[in-house]
Amino acid sequence: MTEIEQKVCDTLIRAGSTFREDQKAAYRRAIEKEPGTISCWVMRQILDNALVAEKNHRPLCDDTGIPHLFLEVGPHCHVTGEIIEQIHTGVRMGLRKLPGRPMAIMGDDNARIDQSGGLDHDSGALKPSPIIIKSVKEDVLRLTVLMLGGGPAIRGLTQRIFHKHSVEVVIDEIVNRAIPAVSQLGCSPCTLAVGIGRSQFEATSLMIEAMAKGNYDVQSDFEKTITDRVNESNVGALGLGGKTSVLATFAKIGPQRASGVRIVALRPCCCFEPRRAEVEL
Amino acid sequence: MIELTTPFSEEAISQLKVGDVVSITGYVFCGRDAVLPRICKELEARIWVKRGIDLRGGVIFHTAVSLAGVGPTSSNKLEIESSFETLSKVGVKMHLGKGAIRAETVKALAENNAVFAIIPPVTALLESQTLERECVAWPELGMEAFYRIKVDNYQAIIAAAKGKSIYDHD
Repeated sequence: MTEIEQKVCDTLIRAGSTFREDQKAAYRRAIEKEPGTISCWVMRQILDNALVAEKNHRPLCDDTGIPHLFLEVGPHCHVTGEIIEQIHTGVRMGLRKLPGRPMAIMGDDNARIDQSGGLDHDSGALKPSPIIIKSVKEDVLRLTVLMLGGGPAIRGLTQRIFHKHSVEVVIDEIVNRAIPAVSQLGCSPCTLAVGIGRSQFEATSLMIEAMAKGNYDVQSDFEKTITDRVNESNVGALGLGGKTSVLATFAKIGPQRASGVRIVALRPCCCFEPRRAEVEL
Repeated sequence: MIELTTPFSEEAISQLKVGDVVSITGYVFCGRDAVLPRICKELEARIWVKRGIDLRGGVIFHTAVSLAGVGPTSSNKLEIESSFETLSKVGVKMHLGKGAIRAETVKALAENNAVFAIIPPVTALLESQTLERECVAWPELGMEAFYRIKVDNYQAIIAAAKGKSIYDHD
């Protein structure tokens, strides 16, 4: 096993089994807000689960997710086909060791759509999504592994907003989309991931970057406004009612088009997401 | 915390109300989208008995079972929620999953003295409380086959009982 393969393997396991310190602190703050409630009981269970998962290096959730990769490349670093292959090998090894849920669908195009080809029993057969590569000023080659579950994918939405030259209009529409998404997800409290760009691809890439870089302790006014307004919906943990439907919002606003339209990608990340970990290769 | 051991008695279930937190110990069945419609079909065709699997007093946990562990999927998926009534009629006492279910389903549960309970998706905790797992039908469905697991102290909250739902916010 190469050094890169080992690092990627370990990072994937960390992403699938560990809450970051800012994530734990966000839960503790939310628990303190509503002691003795059903919501409090649920959030304590989620936090206890995270501590057990971290201790035992076991998955946080049985839907271990689809690996998504975000690679930052510094000015003097090189990415070769060989390095990408090693990253993919590391992902495969990490999935087997976590262990990831064996949910790769086998067969040709049609069989993969209707699931008639059956499931591959090898956890490592699950292919990661295409790598997002971003140049950075820092002289590093840094990989973030994110594990994206199925529930948020069902409730996520990427669609245009006619902004009417008003940030408030965009926020209003994000909140209007987020409340039913959070309510229907089931696995709240959520973290809302938002990307705003010029195309569906760009908006979704920015949303992934927001998931890779967002911090529960650092919230912009834009993010905080969305969080506070969605929390007024009283969806609560697991939709059972309560003050904390959303722990935070992670938003990344990219370059914009000279037009009346903004493309917004929104993902109601479940109570364990963003499941992520990073490593310098 | 109300402690329950499977198989559940009619009396134990009749005492449960929405909002109760319960601890479940004993054998629990696991099935979801792929397998529950097959079970219902065999029950309705009266051929289920050939399998020798007694569902009376039982729990159906809406989960896949894999090396990654167990965790609830949404119980309001069409294939899952449509199984509640048929399974309750043959004696299943608890449907364990997550998400809001329809008023018609809540009513059908009450008519059969059965309940719906929500279990947080805490796979790592549940893994430490799962003692045995065995595939009991349709192994070709892999993680979506019908499993029986032995559990110790699974914690859940009663979300529908006696015709009421925890999602009926006042």
